Parts: sequence; C-alpha cells; structure tokens
Amino acid sequence: MHNTLDNVVIYNGYPVSIVAAVSFHCMVLTALVYFQANRAPQVLNLVQPTVVKALLIDVNPQVRNAQNLERQRLERLDQQRQTREEELPRESEAERELERERAAAEERARQQAQERQRQVDVDALRQQQQADAERQARLEAERVRQEQTRAQEEQARLRQIDEAREQERQRQQAAQELAITEFELVQSGTALIQQLVQETWSRPPSARNGMRAILQIRMLPTGELVSATITESSGDAAFDRSAENAVYRAAPFRELQTLPINLFNRNFRTLSLIFQPEDLLF
Amino acid sequence: MNELSPLQLILNASPAVQFVMLILLLLSVVSWVMITQRWLVLSAAKKGVQNFEHRFWSGMDLSQLYKEGTEMQRENMQIVGMENIFRAGFKEFMRLRRQVSVHRDAVMEGAQRAMRVAYSREEEKLEKHLPFLATVGSVSPYIGLFGTVIGIMNSFIGLANQAQATLQVVAPGIAEALIATAMGLFAAIPAVVAYNKYSANVDSITGSYITFSDEFSSILHRQIHSD
Repeated sequence: MHNTLDNVVIYNGYPVSIVAAVSFHCMVLTALVYFQANRAPQVLNLVQPTVVKALLIDVNPQVRNAQNLERQRLERLDQQRQTREEELPRESEAERELERERAAAEERARQQAQERQRQVDVDALRQQQQADAERQARLEAERVRQEQTRAQEEQARLRQIDEAREQERQRQQAAQELAITEFELVQSGTALIQQLVQETWSRPPSARNGMRAILQIRMLPTGELVSATITESSGDAAFDRSAENAVYRAAPFRELQTLPINLFNRNFRTLSLIFQPEDLLF
Repeated sequence: MNELSPLQLILNASPAVQFVMLILLLLSVVSWVMITQRWLVLSAAKKGVQNFEHRFWSGMDLSQLYKEGTEMQRENMQIVGMENIFRAGFKEFMRLRRQVSVHRDAVMEGAQRAMRVAYSREEEKLEKHLPFLATVGSVSPYIGLFGTVIGIMNSFIGLANQAQATLQVVAPGIAEALIATAMGLFAAIPAVVAYNKYSANVDSITGSYITFSDEFSSILHRQIHSD
C-alpha cells in the first residue's frame, strides 16, 4: 500500500498535475518555435537563359519612354506659348503711351550721365598710367620667381590628373557592370514573357507573313496582368484577338515577382509586345 | 520576403483574436491539469481495488481487516475506494448487531444502506471533473471557430480598404485567424479522448465496487443467519 504512487496522490494530486500540464504546454510551444526557426525559406530563382531569341516579340521600353518625354516637353512648350499670347493683347493703348514717354525721359537722363562719366574717366586714366609703370617693375621680379614654382606645380598637377582619370575609369567600369546585370535581368524577364506568350499563341488560319500587331500590356509587381490593349492593329481582327488571348492565357508571369521593384517599374510596368509571324510558309 | 512564424502571428493578432486565443490556452492548460489529476486518482483507485480484493479474499478475519484500516487512518494514510465501502458496511453491521433489540433483517438493511452511501460518495469522487473535460472537448472548437471568424472578418475589412487586392494583404490575417481554430482543436482533442477513456475507467471501477458490496453483504447475511 505504501508506495510512491500513493504519496503522489496526496492532496488528490493537484500540484503534480498543474506542474505537468504547464510544462507540457511550454514544451509544445518551444517545439513549435524551434521548428519554425529552423525551417529554411523557399526561394524561387529566376532562371536566366543564356540565349535570347527575339523572333516574334520586340520589347523596347526605353525608346517608348524617350518618346513620351519628348511629347511631354513639346506639350509644355505649347502651353507656355499659348499663355504668353493670351497675355499680350491685354495691354491698353494708354499704358503703351505712358511707356513711350517714360522711355524718352530715361534716354535723356542716360545721355547726361554718360557725359559726366567720360570726364571722370580721363582723370582716372592718367593716374592709372603712373601706377602701371611702378607695378611693371615689381611684376618682373615676381614673374621670375613664379616661373620656377610653376614648373613644380605643373608636375604635381599632371600626376593628379592621371590619378583622377584612373578613378574615373574604375567608376565607369563599375557602373557598366551594374548596367550589364540590370540589362541581363531585363533580358531574362522579357525572354520569359516572350516564351510564355509564344507557347500559348495559337495563330488563326488567316495569319500571313508580314502581319504585325502591337499590344500594350500593363502588369503588377506580382506579375499579374492588368490590361492588354491593341495599340496597332494588324488589319485582321482574328489575328488581333488571337494575340490578345495569348497574353491573357500566358498571364500571370509569376517569375517577375523576384525582380527588384525599381527595375520592374522602369521596364515591366507597361510593356509593348509585337506579334509578327515570320515562320509561316506564305 | 517577409518571414511569418506562428509566434509572430499570435503577437500581431487583433485584440479580439488574442483574447480568444488566451481563453483557449487557459482551457487547454486547465484541461491538462484535470487529465493528469484524474489519471493519478483513477489509477490509484484501480490499484486500491486490486490490493483490497487481494487482502479481503486472503481469508483474513474481517474484524482484523477493519482494525488494520483503523490503524492506517491513525497514521494519516488515505483509505480509498473499496475499503471505505467495506468499513462503512462493517461498522454499521457491528454496531447494530451489538444492540439486542434490533432484528436481523434490520441489521442487514442498515449495513447495506451504509454501504450504498459510501458507494455513492466514492463514485462522486471518481467522476469529479469529468464533466469539465466533456465541456472543453465540445466547446473549445466553437470558441476557436469564433476567433477565426472574427479574424477573417477583420482581414476582409482591411481588404476592402485596399485599392489593389492581393493575396499578400489577406494572407496574414487569415493565417492568424486559423491559429485560433488550431488552438481550439488542440485543446479539444485530448479532452475528448481523456473523457471517453476516463468515463470507461470509472464505469469499470464502480462496477467492481457494486460487485464487491453485493458479495460482502451476502457474507454478512450468512454470518447473521448462522448464529
């Protein structure tokens, strides 16, 4: 009768039970946190193709951006000119008369002032000539001394220029490398879109070589397609529709999620796709 | 990519969901206290049954057995289960038997009544807290579901204010809400399992009590009619 279990059951076993239950929950929580911390995050890599074929689709956002900027500038200029023209006729006749009188008065005052100035100048010239002679002698001595120091300075300067040029070169190289990686990312992104769209594009029987439709698509950073609109029709409605359908079926382009957001905004936010069959027999 | 762990989700959850989670955690802890405590009590009762039956049927004199029990009580040791029933019945039987005026049948009746009282007291001891486990088992999934519904509601309200509805906006809210359901199930499952197992155990123990009290009263009956 007198064994350990019976001792444990004293006070109906409440203290032991409480300790057991609380420690059990602590253990479960710790295990949860531990396993969560050790879980390796899954990373989706953007596969970069080594060869990029631009067969069907041509993507050129840079040119489009430049065009946009040019258009905006022209619009601004137009606006400025218009506002200027609007202001012009508002001046009344009386104001113009006043203006003319004021101009005449100013002209007279200016002539008198010039007269006075000329006399003062003559006096000043004479004094200056004397001072010049003295300074000439001083300068001669100074010049000899400067000649020597300048030679030294010249050498130092040349060295500095060399160094600066070297630094500049390195900086340019780094920038170039950066640009290359960005260019590569853009290339791989466009190649991916191109491949996906190409896979889903089923051309209608009415498609002919030389047909050409341009679609403008807008995307979200998640790779989802917002809209696709035909900016340049091929002239064949079926062909246009097939191009549009291909883009909608190929979306979303989930792999674009891994691109840096600024790069995405610059290059993929809106994109023009050119659909142009070239491999047909006729 | 933002790393989401359950701990972070719980800490960042909305107050209502956090409150539900707190309730569920408390329920889970308390139900585990009950589970452990019942386990100790029931296993002690089972052992007590075996022990006492062994001693009872060893051919020992009944008054000797009763005296041993009294000594154990004096040493502040607990007397559990079957022995309590035996002691109640035997005590009543001896007391009534000493009085000459009392009839035999009345003595038997008195002893049986005393045993019945002791039995129901023991049964009550065994069944204590089992209703609590049943309640936790049936209610905590609903509490968890309540937390989930509130959490999902909140995340959809948040979604309504967004211009661009992406999965990333709702996903954390829904995940945090689902944790409440997970906690409800976590509290409910052990409680239900324990309730079923323990009520079966209680049935078998009380059954053995009833059998014993019948056997014992038949022994007393034989004794009272042999004189």
